[in-house]
Amino acid sequence: MNKLFAVIKKEYKTIVKKKSFIIMTILTPVLMAGMMVVPVLLMKVDRSDKKIAVADYAGGYTQALSAVPAEKSEKKKGGLDMDAMNEMPVTAGRISFQQVELAGRDAAALLREYEQKVLKKEIDGLLLIPADVKSQRQVSYYSTSISDFTTLKFIESTLRTAISKQLLLEKQIDPSVVDEATREISMETFKVKKEGTTKSDSGMDYMMSIFMIIILFMILINYGQMIMRGVLEEKTSRISELLISSARSTHIFYGKLLGIGLAGLTQVALWILLAALLVSRFSGMVDAAILSFLTPEIAFYFVIFFILGFFIYAIPYAFIGAAVNTDQEAQQFASVLSVLIIVPYILGISALQNPNSTLTLVASLFPLFTPILMFMRITTAVPPLWQILASIGLCVLTIWGLAWLGAKIFRVGMLMYGKKPSLGEMLRWVRYK
Amino acid sequence: MSEWALSLHDLVKDFDGKRAVDHISFAVKRGEILGLLGPNGAGKTTTIRMVMDIIAPDAGRVEILGEGLSDKVKDRIGFLPEERGLYRKLKVMDTLLFFGELKGMKAAAVRERGRRLLQQFQLAGYEERKVEELSKGMAQKLQFITTILHDPELLILDEPFSGLDPLNIELIQGIILERKRAGTTIIYSTHLMEYAEKTVDSLVMIDQGRKVLDGTLATVKAEYGQKFIRLQYEGDARFVAGLPYVRSCRDSGREMEIELEDLTKREQLLRDLLGKVTINGFQLSEPSLQNIFIRKVQEGAGA
Repeated sequence: MNKLFAVIKKEYKTIVKKKSFIIMTILTPVLMAGMMVVPVLLMKVDRSDKKIAVADYAGGYTQALSAVPAEKSEKKKGGLDMDAMNEMPVTAGRISFQQVELAGRDAAALLREYEQKVLKKEIDGLLLIPADVKSQRQVSYYSTSISDFTTLKFIESTLRTAISKQLLLEKQIDPSVVDEATREISMETFKVKKEGTTKSDSGMDYMMSIFMIIILFMILINYGQMIMRGVLEEKTSRISELLISSARSTHIFYGKLLGIGLAGLTQVALWILLAALLVSRFSGMVDAAILSFLTPEIAFYFVIFFILGFFIYAIPYAFIGAAVNTDQEAQQFASVLSVLIIVPYILGISALQNPNSTLTLVASLFPLFTPILMFMRITTAVPPLWQILASIGLCVLTIWGLAWLGAKIFRVGMLMYGKKPSLGEMLRWVRYK
Repeated sequence: MSEWALSLHDLVKDFDGKRAVDHISFAVKRGEILGLLGPNGAGKTTTIRMVMDIIAPDAGRVEILGEGLSDKVKDRIGFLPEERGLYRKLKVMDTLLFFGELKGMKAAAVRERGRRLLQQFQLAGYEERKVEELSKGMAQKLQFITTILHDPELLILDEPFSGLDPLNIELIQGIILERKRAGTTIIYSTHLMEYAEKTVDSLVMIDQGRKVLDGTLATVKAEYGQKFIRLQYEGDARFVAGLPYVRSCRDSGREMEIELEDLTKREQLLRDLLGKVTINGFQLSEPSLQNIFIRKVQEGAGA
């Protein structure tokens, strides 16, 4: 047993002392914090410096658009103020709408001129409001980028409100009633969980989920490849002969797995600690949706599925390191294995949209996919406990089998030099005493 | 406690239908140095790998320090593989700690003994350097230290001198002798006969997987008798090979080992040499291991 510990200690120390380990340990939470804070900041900065020219043939709408700040639009009550019409340009929020001097030109002539301006980026877009907008409810927007949904939605809803108001005012309705009738609605989303319903932002949830999976995916591949390279180094440098002649091959193999696994676990634990620290320190800056997402429960499952995933992928990576002779060969096999790890990730995208489908259930119980898929399900819609336990149980059985097989392949492969072994040969290794 | 530190019984190993080791048996007495001699590819390394349990023999068995090769016995053996290798990223002291603990040593003992050995091998002060920063010779010395760190009863060294410069060969030879005086049994393989000649107590010669000769150095040499003349000369001495009473001769350019049919012919030889070459030295000698080995291999090929 002392030899097992000697191997564990050496593997653990080697990794933990590496510069890359220290850098990754610190950098990842910082990146994570960035991921949390940046979207919030982006939302505040996003609509800056947009200049939209408005060809307002109906009249009065530029003012309506400008009167409502682009953010928090529900707070302001916009009314049409005909007197201010000539004050140009008027700024609304961070989008500035500029009234175009029509000077009797028709829409086609105007468009020719402003298309050039759009292309030259003098303005971001041209909004064409025809004279009959009230009856036809049709406006046109010309821009090089028409994917900015928030701006488009803002224009759409502001114009709709303005038209509604005008229509109502024309019908001699009390202006205060008109304001009341056209007030905006805001929607909050809630996530229903067994532990209680929490306020949640579905977009943010989705993003966090993907983000955690990417981290899990990244460290599983990273630590797997670390084992592979380690075993290959021992094989090519013939350290393997020293090891085998000093200790039992099972002690070397399991010591290696445990040592590197513990190093990985240390990194994950440090991340959780740092994340908790950052969140508590800067809780004001962090989106509430993220706070509700990062529960101790999620951290617990992250650790569990990291451990399971580590063993499920690290052992095959160790096989590769023991079976091949050169780095290039190892990379070839490793890329095949990476594909196997990507599959649950791809399945997971559909699982996020439909977390309770049969396909998702079956796939998440398949041990090779469990670590990523089951964790993904837990982050979105918590599956029944029996499914979680069953998936963990199946993983443990698989790991037990892999470990047994791995020790044998390791023992023979480590000392087999020269040619690349065939699959049949590797199967024979298993029967080798 | 048995008088034998290691005994091999009828070891056989085939690789892809080719016999690499063919029924090899020999035994090593405790406290002795045994040389495992033979040309490259003779089966020396394969034999040692079977002894060290790195590969399993197809037939035969190995008895080591009185038992089979268990975990405990592994702690009492020091093994230097033919192809050297250490963890390149590991520091020198960490390397010693790892291999020491792998042999069942306590960390404190490794540090203490490790320091002493580093000193002895002129590596003091390198404790915190990484292995990859060492020169090739230094790395070789470090590897040798890991082999003897745990004060093993039995040392198995596969080609210990290969790749070493003369200074380090001297150093390693010194250490081997020192270990021997301390009672360690030592087995080493080499294809360099002249080194073996100076240190081994007994020897085993292997060629093409088969044992061609074994015994103590003295008996092996006696078997070949005192029919050899060692001649140091300058000039052209090729005619010697054609002399009727010369059975064989090995010419190295400035030195020649000449086997006579009969020792009484030595004066005749001297007379024949006079005036044709400048004689710098002329003495009776034992056959060199090199010579014995070549004779043995030729006999084997002829038979």
